[in-house]
Amino acid sequence: MGRQVAIVSAGYSEHASKRSDVSMPELVNEAIEDCLAKVPSVELKDIDAFVNGNMPAFEGSNIPELWMTDWMGARNKPLMRVTTGGTTGGSVAISGYYTVTAGIPGIDTVLAIAFEQQSQGDTSVGLASVAYGEISILNSLGISYDQLNRLLSAGAAIGVAAYQATTYMSKANITEEDLARVVVQNRRNAAKTWWAHLKMPDLTIADVLDTPYVQYPLRYGMVCPASDGAVAMLFTTEEKAKDMCDIPVYVNGVASVANETAVLGYDGSGSAQLDPSEQLGAMKSADLAYSQAGISFPRKEIDYAEVYAPFPNQELMWVEKLGLFEETTAPEMYETGVTAHKGELPVNCSGGVNSTNAIAASAMERPSEAALQIMGKASNQVPKTVHTSIGSGWGGSLNLITLMAMSDEPKRKWK
Amino acid sequence: MSKQTQRKSMDYVKKEYKRTRTMPANWYLSSYEYKFNITHMQPFLKKLKEKKLVANKCSGCNRVFFPPRLVCGKCLVKPDRWVDIRDTARVATYAIAYLKDENSEVQEKPMVLVHHDGADTSSIAELAPGVDVKDTYISMPIKAHWKDNPEGGLMDIEYYDLMDDDAEDLNESK
Ligand SMILES: [Zn+2]
Repeated sequence: MGRQVAIVSAGYSEHASKRSDVSMPELVNEAIEDCLAKVPSVELKDIDAFVNGNMPAFEGSNIPELWMTDWMGARNKPLMRVTTGGTTGGSVAISGYYTVTAGIPGIDTVLAIAFEQQSQGDTSVGLASVAYGEISILNSLGISYDQLNRLLSAGAAIGVAAYQATTYMSKANITEEDLARVVVQNRRNAAKTWWAHLKMPDLTIADVLDTPYVQYPLRYGMVCPASDGAVAMLFTTEEKAKDMCDIPVYVNGVASVANETAVLGYDGSGSAQLDPSEQLGAMKSADLAYSQAGISFPRKEIDYAEVYAPFPNQELMWVEKLGLFEETTAPEMYETGVTAHKGELPVNCSGGVNSTNAIAASAMERPSEAALQIMGKASNQVPKTVHTSIGSGWGGSLNLITLMAMSDEPKRKWK
Repeated sequence: MSKQTQRKSMDYVKKEYKRTRTMPANWYLSSYEYKFNITHMQPFLKKLKEKKLVANKCSGCNRVFFPPRLVCGKCLVKPDRWVDIRDTARVATYAIAYLKDENSEVQEKPMVLVHHDGADTSSIAELAPGVDVKDTYISMPIKAHWKDNPEGGLMDIEYYDLMDDDAEDLNESK
């Protein structure tokens, strides 16, 4: 038993590398105000519960949800914080959905908020708190911290992505130019999105290829920025949604599937994922969410996709693994304009994570943007009518994939 | 493209924000004691001193874990059989890190995931110092280079040497 759930609104703060003008609660407040402005009939008192989340310790502030309780309007209301690394935003959105579908008496409308103000603190300390346990066992087995640093410079998010990139590039037989093409599409789309960070309206492939390598085969110009920003999404029941907005977006399927850690592995014992671009977790996530939503032919039935991809090779890899294109055909789709703003299956018209990355917010900006495209309220609205869309998330070396499939009709297969 | 012509930054549409009040603060992080079970590593570490490699094998799915693993995540059983592993391997995948050395000059360092012959897992390692990065490719055959006096630690294999590969389709796989 579970209620049908609808998204009625989503809002953003402005994103930039340093939002030096606002504190963390003020940043979150901006996103909530933008979210509520789109649904004039909804007031703060109509919201029954709150879910929020950010990365643990990235901004050097513990339990920030208590600091910003009043800024969210959450005083004396149920409040929960969720944090799952890179997928935090995806998990927050899914938690919002769970809270509504559960059917708890008196809890119908839930506000989900994800945020990050990276400029405030030292993300490397936050990352260390995530990975230190795993690293220290290698140290106890005879690798000095010095050597570890060297080995693991290829071990953080970009390290994993670089390995994925090498394998994918050799499998699909593509060059760096194909990666740069994805970046150009994203950053030009970002220029048309009011809240995006890296707006580059005139970017060319040559510009991207003229930057130095950060980690071969990824160049500086291909890598996502570090942003400050927040996003909010409003979930409610099927019945209430119809009064709140013209086109409610129904959440028909959600999934959050983890696969084995890439590269490092458990307790320093390596990884059974010999091919980092295999992405079984993403395929499993897609299976699960699509079967709930009754999507049998994703390529035909999905009209718009927001894919979590800080690095261009991941965008190519995931549009395939999430069933939108056949294996190794994605680069061709970017070249022929299928994924462009005016294309047959537009991807990441908000500019994606590649243009804006406020870590925890990123994985929620994917489903929120996918929902706004259905409502017709997206900043860089696609010309075609969007009925069904998806938004995904990815987290670090654990390969945790979140996915939300939504549509303008309540099509969820289970009751 | 020479390094000199490459630019370090890319222009984008920027907006200036006013500065709100900031308050400097520090976190002095504590030291921690993480608990680990490494009993499953002991036979492996002991054999390293003799320059021999062993891995453990799951009796549920027959996967061979190298380095040994405490528990098979697929079958949720402890791998209980030991098998010998050759010191030859293949490059499962690779990336190149750019790191500053003591003289703050950027050095190219190929980092590889090594897949030992006979094992079903890969682990992170380095290639021999003299290897030209451009020669790295997926499934390149390599061989463990042992330290002179192994001490029973993971760094007893200092790095991996290249092996000859005379396969006919070599240039294609590159
Ligand atoms: Zn097993």
